[in-house]
Order: sequence, then C-alpha cells, then structure tokens
Amino acid sequence: MPSPRKAPRLGRRRWGKAKTFHSTAQTELDLPEGQGSSSQIELDLLLPPILVKRSADEPAPIQGELLLPEFQGETPEPTPQIEFEGMQKPIFDIILEDGRQARFQHAHTLLESLESQDIEVHYQCREGYCGSCRTQLLEGDVHYLEEPMAWIDDDEILPCCCIPKSALRIKLQ
Amino acid sequence: MFKRPFSGPDIKRLILGMAYTTFNRNEFDTFAQPMFFGEHVNVARYDQQKHKIFESLIEKQLSFFWRPEEVDLTSDRKDFVDLPDHEKHIFISNFKYQTLLDSVQGRSPNVALLPVVSLPELETWIETWSFSETIHSRSYTHIVRNIVPNPAAIFDDITKNEYITRRAESVTKYYDSFIFLCNYYIQLGEGTHTVNGETIEVSLHELKRRMYVMMVSVNVLEAIRFYVSFACSFAFAERAKMEGNAKIIKMIARDEALHLTGTQHILQIMARGKDDPEFAIIAQECRQDVIDIFTEAAEQEKEWAAYLFKDGSMIGLNKDILCQYVEFITNQRIGALGFDPIFATKNNPLPWINAWLNSDNVQVAPQEAEISSYLVGAIDSEVDTNDFGDFDL
Repeated sequence: MPSPRKAPRLGRRRWGKAKTFHSTAQTELDLPEGQGSSSQIELDLLLPPILVKRSADEPAPIQGELLLPEFQGETPEPTPQIEFEGMQKPIFDIILEDGRQARFQHAHTLLESLESQDIEVHYQCREGYCGSCRTQLLEGDVHYLEEPMAWIDDDEILPCCCIPKSALRIKLQ
Repeated sequence: MFKRPFSGPDIKRLILGMAYTTFNRNEFDTFAQPMFFGEHVNVARYDQQKHKIFESLIEKQLSFFWRPEEVDLTSDRKDFVDLPDHEKHIFISNFKYQTLLDSVQGRSPNVALLPVVSLPELETWIETWSFSETIHSRSYTHIVRNIVPNPAAIFDDITKNEYITRRAESVTKYYDSFIFLCNYYIQLGEGTHTVNGETIEVSLHELKRRMYVMMVSVNVLEAIRFYVSFACSFAFAERAKMEGNAKIIKMIARDEALHLTGTQHILQIMARGKDDPEFAIIAQECRQDVIDIFTEAAEQEKEWAAYLFKDGSMIGLNKDILCQYVEFITNQRIGALGFDPIFATKNNPLPWINAWLNSDNVQVAPQEAEISSYLVGAIDSEVDTNDFGDFDL
C-alpha cells in the first residue's frame, strides 16, 4: 500500500516543488476503492489545481528529463487566506517601464506573478543566489521571503524571492 | 648564535617582510581587517563575521553537495556513438574546454588568494569554492570514461590542441601575473629587490591592481566562458541526446551560479572601498580594463564558436546563435558589475536555456527528488514576536 502523499506546505510552496507531484501522482490511482472517494476529495483540496497528473499508462519521467510544471502563478489558492474586515488584501499593480502592466494577487513570488502574465523575466536559480532576475525598482517597496544572496544594487530587487508591499514600478534588464 | 626567526611580530616583519604564517599569533581586531592584504588569519572562527555573505555562500555551497557517480550515463554512450562526426567534434571540444576551465578553477583561487586573505569566513569560502570545482573536474572524468573507450586521448589533447591552449593562456594569464608578484611580496615585502640579478619592483598598489583585474577575469570565466559551454551541452539535451551529461552540467551550472555571486560580491566590496579604500581607487582606475577584459573574452568566445561549428551546425544551435548568446550574457554580466552593456543584443537568443539552468526541475536521486538543495535538518523554526507585528484582529 503506498503511503499517502504529504500535504504541500502552504505558503512556502515554490515553483520547483511541483515536480514532486509528477513522480508521486501514481499513488492516488492505486488507492483501493471505497477509500478512494473520500481521500480523493481530501487530496484534491490539498493539491494546487494547476498540476497535471500523470496517467497510469504514461511512462515515468526518465532521469534528466525536464519536469517543467504547467504552472500558472496567479491561480487562486484552493484554500485562501481567511479575510478579516479592515485588513487589505495584498493586491498590487505592477507597472513596467516599457508600459506593460501586471497585477500581483495570488502568486508566491513577484517572478511567478510576472511570468503568469506573459512578462518574460530572465531567471536561473529562482531562489535568490544567482542574480539572473535582477530588476530595477523605480517605485514601491518589496518584502523578501528569503534573504537574497546575489549581489544587487540599492535600487534593485530580485523578483524570484520577493513579493510587493505596495504598487510597483519596475524596469526589467 | 642561534636566532629564533619568530621572536616577535615586529622582528618577523623586519626580517621577513610579510612572510606567511599558518597561524598568526598577533592580536588584532577582525572587523578592522580588509578582505585581503591585512593580518594573516589565525583562528578559523565564524562567530564574528565582517562580511556574512561569505558564510551564507559556504552554507549554500555545502547544501549543494553532489557526486558525479549519482548520475547514470549509460544512455549517453549510445547517444555519443550515434552522433554524426561534426556533432562529436562539438561535444568533445566543448567537453575539453569545460575540463580546462575547471582544472584552472580547482586550484587557482587557493593558490592565488589564500596567502593574502585576512578574513576567516572568506578564507573558508575560497576553499569551499575551489573544492566544488574539483568535483566538477572529477565529473568530467566520469563522463569521458562512460562515453569513450580511451579517455586519455581526450585529456591528452587538452594541452596539445592549439585552440584549447590559446584559451588556456587567456584564462590563466591574470592569475599567473598576480601569483608571480604576490610570491615576491610574501617573501620580500614591498620595495625594489634584486633576485638572481633581476630587479623586481613590488608595490602593494600594483599587487592590488593585479588582484582586482584577476578577480574580473575570474568573473568573466565563471559568468561568460562557462555559460557558453553550458549552452552547447544543453543544446544536445534539448534534442534528448547526451542527457546524463546535461544533468551533470546542470549541477555544475548551479555551483557556478553561486561562485559567480561570490566573485561579484568580492568585486563590489572592493569597488565600494568598503574595507580597503585603496581598492575603490583601483576599481576606478581599472574601469577601462574591465570593459576590455569583457570585450576580449566575448571576442574569444565568438572565435571559439566558429571553431566548434567549423564542420557544421547542430539542430537548435549554430555559430550565429551562440555568438548572440555570448553578447547577451556579456551584457548581463557586465551590467551586474555596474557597467553599461557592450553589445546591442537585448534578448536571450536561447530562451530555453533558463529551464535547463534552473536546477530545481531535475531529479537528483529518488530520495532527493523533492528538493535539489537537500539541506538536512535545516528547518527555520524561529518565531519572533516581530513576525506578528503587522497582524491585526
């Protein structure tokens, strides 16, 4: 009997995590009938809706294969944060220097938000140590989810590991 | 009468200049020390850190630890045999180049920087950095053993092939010129010395200038040269060829991204004169040298691209695209040091490379599949009252 899947850690889930679901998607298909329906619902609630499950006849991912999740950063969470009266939802407009616009509302990082709104940002590590996504911050303020390690100037931000604290005006490299 | 050579710090300096000692017995304030050319390090302690970024880099690098043997290369052997000749040339030449770069990087930071480093966390970062490069070198042997029957033929050619040796010269000349002068400085100190009838002028300013230029060339090596070779490796894997190799290169790319961050920090700390004002002056003096080093490296990489594709292109990558990528990556990297772009290229001609360079979407080993930086026991369980600071009910 395969062990039940761990619930994803909400709030810290990141882009790269999604691959876990590819490799373990098999588990729930093997669940015995009867049990399947109740735990299915439970699992569906826990799962982010954006992930494509692998069907039984599809071959397992081979070593070295790119496991790019079909990730849509701005998809609302299945279990959203409880709303409080008088507490503003963290939804902010992002204006790019070249005129393009985006809105940050559900994504886990600014980079995910921009990508899901078809704004290409150069990236590599996606966790703040390579500095590929270095972006100039013209207006606004951001909060870092983890301390960025890459060297950035005072007026620059790393979208891969921050979220906006206010409306932003940025200039991509 | 027998004289003790180290009877006190003053005598030591008087007799031996700045002679290197493996355990400095002077008492000094760590926070007053610059990164280089201050007091020699003594206690390898990390409780007090002048630049805590280096400690973060060490921890990150350690969490990245991997071994080439983890990667199965059996399908690569078959892939390699099936490659057409001109693609074999691309793969092998690219492989030789990567081997050269990591051979240099596996020893040079240690040899050049450790004798003059003055901060324990930076000293350990340099050692950790070099060590991870030796893993890269070991992984090349692992790759070559798996794809050809006689690895010696490939390795031996690295010192003979004129295209490779020409590149070796440009990669090592800044290291060698710094080490040459630094050895005299360590033994004889500043001043004009006559050694074996030759006059050697040793000035700290010139030494620091050579060090700054050397760090820039290391930055170029890690930020541009490596990435050109990564692009070739990933171009094969993009066509589902040599995927085991690409997986190893992904690990190497992840390490190199971190090393790059390390050198960028060193360069920026120098350029801002944060701990040694003389370096800020030197950084100003050397602005044109920096641009020249980047431009020269980009030109050399383009020449290399022409050599790689001399017998024909491969699907997804040719000389022109690789040259555009060189220009793009050069602009990116020189921008990170606060310079204006050199070339007109603005967009990444190889957008798929981002996905390959991102190490999080590759499986390492089944038990590590969940997260690539397999940090054991690294749980951030600290909850502070400040965490609830902006929380209202």
